[in-house]
Amino acid sequence: MTQHNEHDAISSKEMDRREFLRRTALATGAIAATMSIPGLMTGIANAAEAKLPLKYKDYNVVFVSFDALQAAHVGSLGYSRNVTPTIDAMAKKGFNFTNTISVASWTVPASMTWFTGVYPSEHRLTNKFAIFNPPSNNVLSNLKKLSPELVTLAEVLKQNGYATGGFTGNAGVSGFFGYDQGFDQYFFEKGKFGSMGVSIPKALDWLKENKNKKFFMFLHGYDCHGQNIPEGGFDYRFVDKGYDKKYTGSAKEQEALREEGLEKGSVAVRDEDVKFWRAIYDEKIQRTDARFKKFLEEYEKMGLLDKTIFVLTSDHGTEFFEHKHMDHGFSLYDELIHVPLVITLPKQKSGKIITDQISSIDVMPTILDLLDVKMPEKAKNQLRGASLVPAMKGKSVAKEVYSETDYRQYTYKRSVITKDGWKFIYTLENKNRELYNLKKDPKELKNVVDQEPRIAYELEQKLFAHFKSIGHDLSAKQWIPGLNPVYDSQAKGAVKK
Amino acid sequence: MTRLAGRGFGRYLKAIPAAMFMLVIHWSDGGCSAAPAAPAAERNEYTNVILVSLDILRPDHLGAYGYPKETSPQIDRLAKQSVLFENAIAHSYLTPVAHMSVITGQYPRNHGMVSFEVSKNQVSQRTLPEILKLYGYQTAAVVSSPEFFMRYDTESGKIVNPKDIFSHAFDYYGRTVPDATGSVRVNPTAALDWLKANKDRKFFLWIETGMLHPPYSQTVPMPYKTQFDPPGYTPFYEQFPIRLGRENADRGVPTEVLFHVYRGNYYLDFQPIHKLTEKDVSFINGRYDAGVYYTDTFIGDLLNTLDALKLSGKTLVIFHSIHGESLGEHGYFFHHDVFDTEVKTALTMRFPDNSQAGKRISRQVQGIDILPTILDYLQIPINHESQGASLMPLIKGDEAGFKGSEYAFIDRLPWWEYVLGGWHLEHQSEREAQYTPLEIAKMKDYRNLLNKTILGEYPPECIAVRTNKWKLILREKSNLLENISWWNFISGKKFPVDSIELFDLDKDPMEQKNVAKDHPKVVEQLKAKLLEWDASIKKNMTTPAVKGQPLIIPYP
Repeated sequence: MTQHNEHDAISSKEMDRREFLRRTALATGAIAATMSIPGLMTGIANAAEAKLPLKYKDYNVVFVSFDALQAAHVGSLGYSRNVTPTIDAMAKKGFNFTNTISVASWTVPASMTWFTGVYPSEHRLTNKFAIFNPPSNNVLSNLKKLSPELVTLAEVLKQNGYATGGFTGNAGVSGFFGYDQGFDQYFFEKGKFGSMGVSIPKALDWLKENKNKKFFMFLHGYDCHGQNIPEGGFDYRFVDKGYDKKYTGSAKEQEALREEGLEKGSVAVRDEDVKFWRAIYDEKIQRTDARFKKFLEEYEKMGLLDKTIFVLTSDHGTEFFEHKHMDHGFSLYDELIHVPLVITLPKQKSGKIITDQISSIDVMPTILDLLDVKMPEKAKNQLRGASLVPAMKGKSVAKEVYSETDYRQYTYKRSVITKDGWKFIYTLENKNRELYNLKKDPKELKNVVDQEPRIAYELEQKLFAHFKSIGHDLSAKQWIPGLNPVYDSQAKGAVKK
Repeated sequence: MTRLAGRGFGRYLKAIPAAMFMLVIHWSDGGCSAAPAAPAAERNEYTNVILVSLDILRPDHLGAYGYPKETSPQIDRLAKQSVLFENAIAHSYLTPVAHMSVITGQYPRNHGMVSFEVSKNQVSQRTLPEILKLYGYQTAAVVSSPEFFMRYDTESGKIVNPKDIFSHAFDYYGRTVPDATGSVRVNPTAALDWLKANKDRKFFLWIETGMLHPPYSQTVPMPYKTQFDPPGYTPFYEQFPIRLGRENADRGVPTEVLFHVYRGNYYLDFQPIHKLTEKDVSFINGRYDAGVYYTDTFIGDLLNTLDALKLSGKTLVIFHSIHGESLGEHGYFFHHDVFDTEVKTALTMRFPDNSQAGKRISRQVQGIDILPTILDYLQIPINHESQGASLMPLIKGDEAGFKGSEYAFIDRLPWWEYVLGGWHLEHQSEREAQYTPLEIAKMKDYRNLLNKTILGEYPPECIAVRTNKWKLILREKSNLLENISWWNFISGKKFPVDSIELFDLDKDPMEQKNVAKDHPKVVEQLKAKLLEWDASIKKNMTTPAVKGQPLIIPYP
């Protein structure tokens, strides 16, 4: 009962996103109209939707990753500032999976899970298992070398006659890592955290040539990412006029803050600085959304909308001092692993909010299910996730989700979140344990490992059993930060250029 | 706090019955397959656990393990009601090291209890009592061996910073009361009182006794003390007193005497002064057996108390020895090596419903398997840090379902010479042992030698691997061992130390004949296994942090 009182005290504007989502789920049944946030009142299933075939053989798929888009900054996930009108509109008419947890908190491991359907420990594009291969440029190894047996989503679709094109901002989804595996064409601009400003035109060019075929497109950009600055600079549209401009929003500042956090355990920023960085982030998100809107307009002009399944998501979130750090990769708190996921089906008119907790590992099985495409015989047992199509039919698909991060020379963490909101994080190099009751403490501020020792014990066993079951016995290895970096600049003894 | 946690978790489970089902089947290898509709109460909800640990107990001195003398009628009774493991192996010869493996399920280098002078923070905290406490168990211990009450001294020599390691997670941690000889190594009868007072609670009780520790039979009362003495026998050492200060009482076979016996000779001033007769050896063994017999009477009292309190039917009783004792088979009396005399242990498990009673299992099992077995039986998720495997499949006859290794790895950890230098020599005077001026002078040299060679840091690579058939011992620094051997010191000779020993345990269970040269392939294969294990856990090796601080063991 006290729980309810606590929740009632939170105004809808400041409401935490998990609480927001819980309420939204309740509201979709009857009292949706009382909700004041735009874009969500219509999450009511109607008769038309029930008739959706949910089998789309030979339809197109456009898979969009808005890199580093934190769930809490998305309107259709409860953000109050209107920065994602295009995504929100798609969410409104599609399936809005509001509790999607990414398998990792940074790009390289997280994104490859979409394309292989296995955990990062398994596809091995993590710094722990990557092989340092000097003098190759910037990149240490790739999927073919690390996990030659894995079949990618693009490969499966290509085998089924799809044209496959990837248009990205490089860096974490660089072709050098093997992200190009299975793509007819894979664009990644060398040495950059590139934006959709570059990848969208390339994508549209490719579409013009391939629009008459069935195709699978991966569209990606770092527009929201700390290392990307809008062409022409910021206009500071959301920054308070009175801000003393201690920061300007540059990539260098952002990088310095990240490194400060890693070095000292926390960054020294003032409340107004955090507000500033969130304002900068909102500007980036709004610009990204606008770019994507233009892409959709072009796309519609080609007459492809009704033939296409859209998947909109992000590989991970990012942190603005929620846990005293900036940037991402180094922890597994919700601001880093809770991501948006919207799937729209051809001709879908009204959407549905699905609050079941699911994982980014479910995306590949869902796409294959919708397209009615099967994994090749050899790779049949590869997929670890489950199709979300049953959720679209109204069935519960809520599950425990597992995440992991092996971040640079800094940390190795693993986490599990239960369906009913217990989150356990284990840090391998120092055996640190964290337990959060997300229902009571959605911001993960109060570690209750001492208050709930039995739950912590059982979740720890569960976490280790999970990784053992996928062939990674965490107890059997040494976990010492700095063993195997992903970029050569992060290798031990590397000389800074 | 525990109760709150329990309630919280209860709510958590009720909210999602399906998840609870998952917990049971997914987390525990031997988990039950209860129907999800009405899951039966888990065993940990109603089963007590008693762990009876006997230090220095050699299984082959028990009737249940084939000893011809009448030393253990009560333990034999318990064994008949239990599953008995004929080949149970401890991971070290040293009490705290071996026992920490039992209550954590980890190899010594992993649990961190690698010698006497480690600090609390260096040792794994996730012990059996800690886990059982999470599941609502009252945890109690009545303990006799001083090793389990270690304290660290400061420069002042006063105990100002008690750091019990083994008392962690016990609601009650009781020790035995010293007897007239001043030793706490007596029967832990307070455990029976605790049982009477707590019979209605769900409990884990650890009962430990160090009665068998040298001096053999020190605390055994008459007439039990002399019951196995050869008739009319006078101990050989009384003709050659080395402990001039002591009153003339029978305090068992003195440790200092045992420390001066090697390969059949009694040494004083580095000269053999007496060749041990068959009677002498029989006397020493008899005094050891007197300890077994008197301990056995306590086991009888324990079993009777459990019956009288109607606890037998709801209590899992694990009986084991922490490690064994060499009784002259390798030239010495004491425990300081990785021979079977020292590392082979007794192990029996009596289940509340007496299921499998009388079963004997010959497959080799290990100290690290005990914790997983208890947790598995109680349907508690097994701690992932545990390196052993549940014995429940073996117990149920499912040999293939047993996930344990056929290889037992044993560490001579720490080197006994390290313990000697850091503790034994230091405290000779406290035990009123008085040596001759020549021995005292040379003892200083010996201590300097230890200081120079091994007290600064741990010497590596004195390790062994054992299967049901073979034992391979690797002593990489055999020359060093030869130089610093206490026995070579006390005898003034250079008995050689082999760097590789292989024993055929079928033909030679007492490990008398090194057959390494006859079986090069076996050596090669076992050595590879052993070195692979060694390398896999090497990085976890904890080195003792407390240096130069003398250790005080109360109630020596």
